[in-house]
Amino acid sequence: MAEIKIKDLHKEFGVGADKVVALENVNLELGGHVFISIVGPSGCGKSTLLNILSGIETPTSGSVTITEHGDRAAPGYVFQAARLLPWRTVMDNLLFVQKDKSEETRARCQHYLEMVQLGDKGHKFPGELSGGMQQRVGIARAFSIEPDVLFMDEPFSHLDAITARSLRRELHEMWAETRKTIVFVTHDVGEAVELSNRILVFAQGGRLEDDIPIELEFPRDSADEQVAIAKAAVLRKFEEFDLVAT
Amino acid sequence: MTAIPAPTPGSSSGTAVQPNRPAPAAIRFLKSPKLARTLFLPAVLVFWLISNRLIENAWDFDSTVLATPMEVWDFMIAELAGDTVAPKNLYETFGISLRRLGIGFAISMILGTAIGLGMGLSKAINAFFHDWVMGLLAMPALAWALFLSLIFGFDDTGPILAVTLAGIPFVIVNVREGVRDTPTELFDMSTAFDVPLVKRIRHVLLPSLYPFLFASARYALSIGWKGLVIIELFGGQDGAGWTVKFWYDAHRLHGVIGYSMFFVIFALILENAVLEPISRRVFRWRPSHDAPEIIEEEMSALDHAGHYQQPDDKVLVRN
Repeated sequence: MAEIKIKDLHKEFGVGADKVVALENVNLELGGHVFISIVGPSGCGKSTLLNILSGIETPTSGSVTITEHGDRAAPGYVFQAARLLPWRTVMDNLLFVQKDKSEETRARCQHYLEMVQLGDKGHKFPGELSGGMQQRVGIARAFSIEPDVLFMDEPFSHLDAITARSLRRELHEMWAETRKTIVFVTHDVGEAVELSNRILVFAQGGRLEDDIPIELEFPRDSADEQVAIAKAAVLRKFEEFDLVAT
Repeated sequence: MTAIPAPTPGSSSGTAVQPNRPAPAAIRFLKSPKLARTLFLPAVLVFWLISNRLIENAWDFDSTVLATPMEVWDFMIAELAGDTVAPKNLYETFGISLRRLGIGFAISMILGTAIGLGMGLSKAINAFFHDWVMGLLAMPALAWALFLSLIFGFDDTGPILAVTLAGIPFVIVNVREGVRDTPTELFDMSTAFDVPLVKRIRHVLLPSLYPFLFASARYALSIGWKGLVIIELFGGQDGAGWTVKFWYDAHRLHGVIGYSMFFVIFALILENAVLEPISRRVFRWRPSHDAPEIIEEEMSALDHAGHYQQPDDKVLVRN
């Protein structure tokens, strides 16, 4: 299982009077078979943190190390919009991020497509799929490289409630089966409580304000009383830190 | 709280929406694009005949100079059969011009793409070439024709360069814009998944440039062909442009029009037999406006979630 160490991570955008602090001296250690959600108001640095962890952006200062048994770990990423190559088929999109195209790799990709109920759609182009199906392909793509850690940036925010609910259940089943470390960014506190066993609360300016364990049994349903109580507890943290609740 | 009353049976609670009834088949046929396309050529021929008659009546004019559609048709058939008084027949003539066009087009695409890529990726290269490219865009093909004829005389170099110089600025500008328009989110995705650079160029950059390369190719061929005809006309000894001038010098308008029609036919063949099939193949991933939306799979997702069932009448009810 992966270990993520974040030390004195600081990220600024712009210079002089236009300077914006996206992340302020964040220190964290994450790892193991955990599903961690990062919540906070818009602009608090959630996506910036994920982009730095995945290598898309570089920090202004500080360090990030992601390892698996001492070696550099390979992350997977699920984006808010699926970010599929529109000119490649579904199967080719999965193969694009693989190290090789052997029969074994193809079989693994096919397995993950079947896990997201798209086993018979490998020959389709993304333009022929609905938004929810494209996002499923994005999830399958991330899982197919069998990453040590998976980053997910509000992957269901663009979907309708029904599809999002279905995908949350599928994601949870995949996490339970594959035992990854998942770092999940969301602005939906209810979603965070439903999925995670740990919630990090970020405030405006990229300050990590709290680290809340969620010790409820899985599977969780937002209609459950215990889930509602946990959600209320997290929202009280928003009030405590004077955050804008969503 | 204000309750919203249910409408009483038989009452109208608003404006009823009448379903659209399809127009009668005859009306649909008269409005159809196929009919419009079919009618264009007869309309042109009728307009041509009427114009000839009006010109003959309006001016004191040698009516044998004006060509009728039948004369042009007879000329074109004769040329297709190889029966011509021109020094070279239709196939030899077009063969010479197409060879020059092909070479010039290849140079403009290769060189133009390289410069366009450089300008799109580097501000310094963009600054270096920018003004020259804008100047080339503004240069009329006629100026190239006269300039290159004086320098290179009657051999192939002038026409080939005319094609290159006429087309290359369009290629450069299109490719540069294509690079600037590349989807950065796909490059970010590639970074997140540690995809090697060669793979990113092959599977992300190049495919995103295809629409711009196709537009470049169409422009380069179209503009290059016009430049070629002009230089052959003014400074050539053979080729399609020179042959049009041959018929002009012979005061044979049916020859001028007939050869011009061959240009049009060539362009249509190139478009429909070469460019369009390639475009359909390369862009087959683009969703068609007529393709039915895939919604059935979403329904099955609901079933999998176990919260909704889909009875035979397709009405969703909670389990």
